[in-house]
Amino acid sequence: MSHGHSNPIEHPEVQMASKGSYLTGFIVASLLMLAATILVSGKMLPSFALLLTIMGCAGLAVIAQVYFLLHIDISQHNIWNTVALVMFIPLFVITIGLTWWMFSQLYMRTMPMIPGMPGMH
Amino acid sequence: MLVNVPGPWSPLLGRLALSEIPYTNPILAPLFVVIVLAGLALIAAITYYGKWGYLWKEWLTTVDHKKLGVMYIILGLIMLFRGFIDGLMMRTQQMLGDGPGDNGLKVMGAIHGYLTPFHFGQIYSAHGLIMILLAATPLLVGIMNIIVPLQIGARDMAYPYLNALGLWITAAAVVLIMASLFVGDFSHNGWFGYAPIFEMAYSPGVGVDYWIWTLELVALGTTLGSINFLATVVKMRAPGMTWGRLPIFTWSAVSANIIALTSFPCLQVALALVGADRYLGTHFFTAGFGGNLMLYTNLFWLWGHPEVYFVILPAFGMISEIIPAFSEKPIFGYTAMVLATFAIAGVSWIVWLHHFFTMGMGPYVSTEFSVATMLVGIPTGVKVFNWTFTMYRGRLTYTSAMHWALGALFLLLVGGLTGMMLSIPAINYMVHNSVFVVAHFHMMLLCIVYAVFGAVIFWFPKVFGYKLNEYWGKMMFWLFSAGTVLVFLPMFMLGFMGETRRLDWPFNPHWATMFDIQEVGIAVYVLSVFAFLWMIYVSIRDRAQHRVGADAWGTSRSLEWLTDSPVPFYNYAMVPHVNARDEAAWRREHGFSEARPDHFKAIHMPNNTGVAILIGALTFVIGFALTWRIWWLTVAALIITVLVMIYRSGTGDPGYVISAEEMEKLDRDSRQKMPEDHIQHPHGDFTGGTVTAYSAGAADSLTQGTPPSRPQRLS
Amino acid sequence: MSSAHDKPIDPNKVVLWSDDYEGHDPISTRTFGFWMYILSDGMLFATLFAAYGVLSYSHSYYTGPIPAQFVAPWYTFIQTMALFLSVLAYGFSMTALKTGSKAGVINGIIASMILGAVFIGLDIHDVLRMLSMGVTPEVSGGLSAFYALTQVHAAHIFVGMIWMLVMLYQVLRKGFTEDVVGRLISLRMFWQFQAVMWVFIYVFVYLWGYMS
Repeated sequence: MSHGHSNPIEHPEVQMASKGSYLTGFIVASLLMLAATILVSGKMLPSFALLLTIMGCAGLAVIAQVYFLLHIDISQHNIWNTVALVMFIPLFVITIGLTWWMFSQLYMRTMPMIPGMPGMH
Repeated sequence: MLVNVPGPWSPLLGRLALSEIPYTNPILAPLFVVIVLAGLALIAAITYYGKWGYLWKEWLTTVDHKKLGVMYIILGLIMLFRGFIDGLMMRTQQMLGDGPGDNGLKVMGAIHGYLTPFHFGQIYSAHGLIMILLAATPLLVGIMNIIVPLQIGARDMAYPYLNALGLWITAAAVVLIMASLFVGDFSHNGWFGYAPIFEMAYSPGVGVDYWIWTLELVALGTTLGSINFLATVVKMRAPGMTWGRLPIFTWSAVSANIIALTSFPCLQVALALVGADRYLGTHFFTAGFGGNLMLYTNLFWLWGHPEVYFVILPAFGMISEIIPAFSEKPIFGYTAMVLATFAIAGVSWIVWLHHFFTMGMGPYVSTEFSVATMLVGIPTGVKVFNWTFTMYRGRLTYTSAMHWALGALFLLLVGGLTGMMLSIPAINYMVHNSVFVVAHFHMMLLCIVYAVFGAVIFWFPKVFGYKLNEYWGKMMFWLFSAGTVLVFLPMFMLGFMGETRRLDWPFNPHWATMFDIQEVGIAVYVLSVFAFLWMIYVSIRDRAQHRVGADAWGTSRSLEWLTDSPVPFYNYAMVPHVNARDEAAWRREHGFSEARPDHFKAIHMPNNTGVAILIGALTFVIGFALTWRIWWLTVAALIITVLVMIYRSGTGDPGYVISAEEMEKLDRDSRQKMPEDHIQHPHGDFTGGTVTAYSAGAADSLTQGTPPSRPQRLS
Repeated sequence: MSSAHDKPIDPNKVVLWSDDYEGHDPISTRTFGFWMYILSDGMLFATLFAAYGVLSYSHSYYTGPIPAQFVAPWYTFIQTMALFLSVLAYGFSMTALKTGSKAGVINGIIASMILGAVFIGLDIHDVLRMLSMGVTPEVSGGLSAFYALTQVHAAHIFVGMIWMLVMLYQVLRKGFTEDVVGRLISLRMFWQFQAVMWVFIYVFVYLWGYMS
């Protein structure tokens, strides 16, 4: 079997490292975090719009990192990593989303009405 | 930061003290003596026969997936027995303790029956935890461990060392829960735990801590195993083994391990947060201070429900292998079967709330989870119909493995239909926490046990080279089934009569007959245990008469039946090239079943390692030290574990190479061990006219160079 | 059922054993397995986020302090930059690996470790500041969840730094063997993944906490 016959440095997963792509990922994520920090610390938007904006920043930053840093794409050497990630993402959403939904409904029905409580709409 | 424990604590021994050993308990003390004596006898026997070296070299340090699988199965069977004894004690307690008034045996301070409520609580908690996580899971993981690499034509798992690590960490969990019998006590708040009973204020003993660390260790071991399975199937398939040709059992192993990989972290977090509450004084699940009791239940079942499918899917896979082999037909609806498997795995992630419909989150949430739960019925129904259609117009052989598979089908039906009832919130409110629910999930879990027994009998000749005794296999099946009926039919009825689960004192005198019937059922179960042991004994005694060749049943279908029985350590002398789905059946049909490789290549195999068992032992020490709050030992064991891991990472495993000439010799030896006439067709004398498709002796056509006549198909 | 049954088979041409099977690719097998571990680690964080979501209502903080009173966004932004730079440094170490430059790899890992240490240092300083303000995990369920999420992440960074130390030794001692290269790639994924998780923690725990 082919254990260790070829030079490991030549392996495609080594060779796919790229300075430009790492730098891009870094700059994009940093700028988005900077923007989110400025908006939040200055409270520059109404609460709900602010929340949506920073959620957008987080989403974009994560996509940039996953694409530029973690090499998640459909090339031959990364396809299985991508498949695994795609399989997991709905589960992350389910875990967090359904839990939040279920407990917001529970709190609505069981907790005393404290003003400003989320879930009180 | 650290919570002050009630009672004494010393820096050296933590909470450990001589008084924590229950030597006055009339059940545990004799049991302890028996176990110590049995252990001493075992050690003496091993020493007398000089088997320590063999044990160490061949088993304790092995990284061979088949031996690890066998050890997983032995571990699972031992824990199945322990869990069964717990069940027996619970049944006996309810039988003795039934009725109003003071009806105890006056032993160990019991007012009702023979167990105190605290002791009874520990027994049902241990029963549930052991049966699901330390019996069913190791049994299934063990069978997957043996069969999956064989079915895809791999030499071993992707990470043989990690495989051994998974086994020994699971074994550490087993030792930890067994230790709780004799040192301290076990958790008394159910196998899944209730907030806030497990909080320090209400459970000041070490029982809950044992429970936490046992679960954490099992979760760790299973997660490691699931990574290994998935990487093996994705990366190690033999040439020609496309996804469309993957045997159904391997498909079900893939889906089950996806579930394990994704859900066990939730369990680890849920238990770690309980640990934080108990050790660090946080308020995740406390009743006051902003904690949330139901958050625990939510996080636990977030894992717990996918876990249910993690154990049922491999069982479905086993049934899907046994039924075609003994119906002499390919599985009906392969694609539908695979899709149904993944549909079940997918839906398993959106149904967990049905374990606590009564939480009070209102109709919208209930509706979603109710509908999702009902959806599970569709792919499961597809599977049941596929199995039925596989048997339809097949040539059935009622071997003992087939008995178990059919029994599993029947239990699935009962369990599935009662599950459909429970998925309706309105009904669920009525029977929540009653023994109706208990009877329902025992039907499902027994479906797994049936499939496991079927699979053990089915694949036993592949691993050991001889068949298990059919007569005693069937005898065990009928006894076990009689026990199941006698225990669980009354339980369904009791559920409707309003018996809540976990009653140490069922006060209603009208239930007495039911409890007596259940106790009879337990006695029949005991007989089936003896039948099992006798089956093993008889089979080993008569093994010479029951040796089998590669195709042990003469009608087997998937790739693993190509290699020799018992499977040599390298699995396949030459990696097979897969030409069809059901490769073994394809080769038999086309007259290649006698074909063996005529030349060999050098192969590369992993070395044995003692590191895995060492880390397993260290994880036990960590669990034990955390349970008893011996901080220095915890930290020391943790540091040593990390150092051992770094050491292992430094040495690595270069493996070793077996040359082509050696392979040729090994292959010849392995072949000589098998009996000459090795295809034993169950319908050898069958002259119905449509037999050619699966008849033996077509090897001649290979030497003559003419293709065998195109087989006629049965359906 | 399968179409393979229907074609006539020439026994002289059929391939039963694979001659040219070269076995699996050990580096890819290792990194794929490790990626699956990382994803299960992601599920661990997702569960903690779910818990945090349930325990971040106003009543979850009982009568104790709420994040808006103790979170300092700009301080944590410096932490963010330290971590991102550390990940970038590790990325540069991986581009140095492409040419087999030992010095490049080692410099990159050392830079990455130093920046990781800055992150941990800032985190410890922040925790000490909060503890001195009476913001402890024992105060309320909400604070328990806050600490769990942030400190589990910090623990990952700590483990990553120990791993880097081991890798420094192995690169120096053994050079770029198959095992070492596989581990370097796994560590890259681990380290980058911590940055991904930190984005969520920074935005949804620190910034959102500061807002509400």
